[in-house]
Amino acid sequence: MSRGFVYNILFRTGIVLSVYIRMSLLKPFSKLPGLNAANILLVECEEQFQKSLADALVEETAVTVYVRLAKSLPLPKENEESRPRIDLVVFIINLTSELSFQSAEASLKYLDPGYLLGKVCFMVTNARNASVPTERLDAVRKLAAALHCPLLFAEDQTPDGVTYATKRLLSILKVSAGLVPMATALYLSSLTSCTVPPDIDQPSFD
Amino acid sequence: MCLCLTECFEYFSNVEMAAQLNLSGHPDSGLPSLTDQSMSSRTSNRSLRVAEKERRKNEAEDPSVLALQYFYNVEAGTPVSGNDEVERNLVLVEQVAYRNGLSPEAISIMLEFAMSLRMGHSLCPRVLKCLIPVTVVPQEAVVRGVSWLGVGKIPVSTQVLFIKWVLTVFDMIDAKDQLRAIYGFIFSFVSEENLCPFICHLLYLLTSKQIVRVFRVRKLLELQSKLGRQPFLLNLLSLYKVFCPELVTFSIPSQSKSVFKNHNMPWKSALFAVQKRNGSQVASSISLASASKDGTNRRKRKRHHLEIPVLRSVVNKEPQTETRRRLVPLVQIQSVAELLENMDHIELPAQMGSLLGSSLALQYLDCVQDESALLRLNFWLGYALHEELLFCGDGASQNSEESLQFLNKLLSTQHFLQEGFSSSEAFLYKFLNVWDGSLLRPQILGLLSNIPVIPSSQIERLLFKPLMQLFFTSSVFFKCGLIECLNNMLLKWLIWHSVYALEDDLDISRNSHTSINMTLSGFKDSVMGLVDFVGRLASSGLQLEGCHSLLLSFILDFYTMVCDTFLKYGLPLVVMPPPGVFYPALFATDPVSVDRLAFIMYRYKVNLTSAKIQEKLTDQAFHISRQTFHEFNNYTVYMVNCLWNSKMFQPGMGVQLGEELLLKSNVPQYWTSFDLVHHPAFMSYAIDFHQKCWPGKKDIDLDSIKHSKPWSWYLEYLFSQGYDGLALFVQSNIRARQGNGQQGDSLST
Repeated sequence: MSRGFVYNILFRTGIVLSVYIRMSLLKPFSKLPGLNAANILLVECEEQFQKSLADALVEETAVTVYVRLAKSLPLPKENEESRPRIDLVVFIINLTSELSFQSAEASLKYLDPGYLLGKVCFMVTNARNASVPTERLDAVRKLAAALHCPLLFAEDQTPDGVTYATKRLLSILKVSAGLVPMATALYLSSLTSCTVPPDIDQPSFD
Repeated sequence: MCLCLTECFEYFSNVEMAAQLNLSGHPDSGLPSLTDQSMSSRTSNRSLRVAEKERRKNEAEDPSVLALQYFYNVEAGTPVSGNDEVERNLVLVEQVAYRNGLSPEAISIMLEFAMSLRMGHSLCPRVLKCLIPVTVVPQEAVVRGVSWLGVGKIPVSTQVLFIKWVLTVFDMIDAKDQLRAIYGFIFSFVSEENLCPFICHLLYLLTSKQIVRVFRVRKLLELQSKLGRQPFLLNLLSLYKVFCPELVTFSIPSQSKSVFKNHNMPWKSALFAVQKRNGSQVASSISLASASKDGTNRRKRKRHHLEIPVLRSVVNKEPQTETRRRLVPLVQIQSVAELLENMDHIELPAQMGSLLGSSLALQYLDCVQDESALLRLNFWLGYALHEELLFCGDGASQNSEESLQFLNKLLSTQHFLQEGFSSSEAFLYKFLNVWDGSLLRPQILGLLSNIPVIPSSQIERLLFKPLMQLFFTSSVFFKCGLIECLNNMLLKWLIWHSVYALEDDLDISRNSHTSINMTLSGFKDSVMGLVDFVGRLASSGLQLEGCHSLLLSFILDFYTMVCDTFLKYGLPLVVMPPPGVFYPALFATDPVSVDRLAFIMYRYKVNLTSAKIQEKLTDQAFHISRQTFHEFNNYTVYMVNCLWNSKMFQPGMGVQLGEELLLKSNVPQYWTSFDLVHHPAFMSYAIDFHQKCWPGKKDIDLDSIKHSKPWSWYLEYLFSQGYDGLALFVQSNIRARQGNGQQGDSLST
């Protein structure tokens, strides 16, 4: 049954043509879902973590997971007909690069607002790196909080970290693809959406 | 090292210099210098000496040794620009430094060269940057370096660089007594604005009780009024306040103990790299090294980045009894008896981190309510955790094995002391916000369960928000782990309360280790917050995981403790489980969950009854809200109706369904579906019982069990299978039997 493995490198050039803007708005409910299948779209500007995540994601046997990779949004117009309904959009942000964050922020404009009802999540790598300015992490947090999306942290350098990040994405994906009875994407996102923590450097207990 | 030196002077006075400049690439230069006087006995192995001789000869031609010689001898005022010799030699030294690190002697020479500005100040920063020690940094060199600061010709940026370097290698300085002796001199630099943050950090590391004086406090306060409430000044002042509270009278926010800023990353990574590289050579050279025990220990420690320091006293030499006012270093204490004898004049070790490794030291820490010891330990710990775990310099290279051992050690220490450190608490609050949920999970959850009571106003943002997100996006095993961790946390809070409530009835402020005061109602709020939070996690978690029975088991563990808060832990608080937990447990398909729920309900009843009795006896007793009684009654009535009376859907109950809908479902006798005979969890027992009771009967009629005789036999049979919780529940709630025994009566409190 399983081992469905669609590996589409959708958009590599990174050039955003204004013509595409209206046409390629990614919509969550414009197509019918597949039977016992889930589609996940990984958006990462640097294309580093994507690959290993995708390899691990398609190992899932309980449901057929189709992984699609993109460098940024919008997706090209050509494949629009054949493209299945995307159940979860994951923006992977490498905190050590400013570009990565900016690219994700720019891509968000090409998402239908319907996705923000629990079908988008952010995955951040290198958050514990000393060279990361704290402002950048704060900015990502603010973005995720403003969109009411979950913000996941991943240890992309170790195999264990990749495995666990995959598991977490799968658990969200299953809900957002409607495969978990009694749970919807909106319900899960109301439980997991990110909030901006106030400055916890000096918790004043007095 | 010492051995080599003396011998070389003896035999090869002509290459004296080279011997002194023994570079660290050399395997046995890793030995600590100047400490092992006993080792220099002339009778040591002759062949070793011959081998040394050979090596020295080779080294005399080693270009890097010659380079160091150059810097040792170079005349003051030699021009830098266009001087190829300097450039060449400096490159050589840098190569050695970045590859293997520099030996103590080399550090002395290079530091002296840089700080004395013999060739102007343009080379200074470059030299300072390559001062990467392989073993230790001689204290004398640092003291000389500090003394050059006073000359006043060095540019400020270089001065800052020097102090930063001292801070980085502070733990590697072989002794601190002389540095402590020039505390006043170092203190004088506080007034220089650019140096101030770093000087404060250095002073923080050097401060002892005798050093805190009125004029110093006054100076710091004066600076504070000039510069504002800077964290570095506050940190130092808070340490002063700990030592001499009478001198620092104004209040310092208790949680402003954030560590000093990290300003040593370039050295740190180089140092780490050098130590790692040397680590691999140690094994091969160990046979040659004939090292003292101390030597090997220390070398081993250097290999690890995150290891607990070896317990050492502040002064490396024999204690001079005259001057030191009979302070006994902790390292010399061998037994509890000795510890008790010297309780009042124990000298804390140079590195507080070493306390973690010694159980005697922990005993001392536990019984002496010495704020300064705890503060210093917390400072070190906070720094270590922050640097090595929270913000590891280069992500991947972080050695998880080391972190694992370190955290395990920390956990066992906290276990021993039966309390958490405030620095590990602060670390956790930050770490939870960037945690992926899997890295070092057992250790992190272990540390988390040790955190002390958090005021209810803070608990939401510090703990619940980050945990909630992790919980709902993680696997069912993480969910189980987190519930267990919160269970342990609650247990510790309750134990803490029962201990302190005994000591003092009204004011249960915490012991002197932290300055948080907490009233009984504040404590109750926090516990209530925690229980509610777990209730929220549990209800939604069960829903998302399809009532996973493992998760349910952990959740019931939690409520097994919650139901007994009043009787077992003396906390006047009863919180019922939410419906999202009660009903899944009641309708669970495994009999164990139903049995445990029955036990929990039984304990709730016992607790509530005794609370009510107590309320009647003593007027001022606590008040349990009517809502709690109402909830309890509802649950109990429903449970009895469902399991015993076969009346699942009664009007006014928790679960209600329309009559027509139930008829439409075509389930025959739907109202009996969850009684003790037909409940999916007990059905197999009912069938088994039926076969045993009427062995001849072919067609099974479970309803026949409900007649009065077989019913009591069936109950007996069920209870004999080990379902004690169920037995207790039935005994306590079902009193009167009417007619044919099918009818039970629920007793409501």
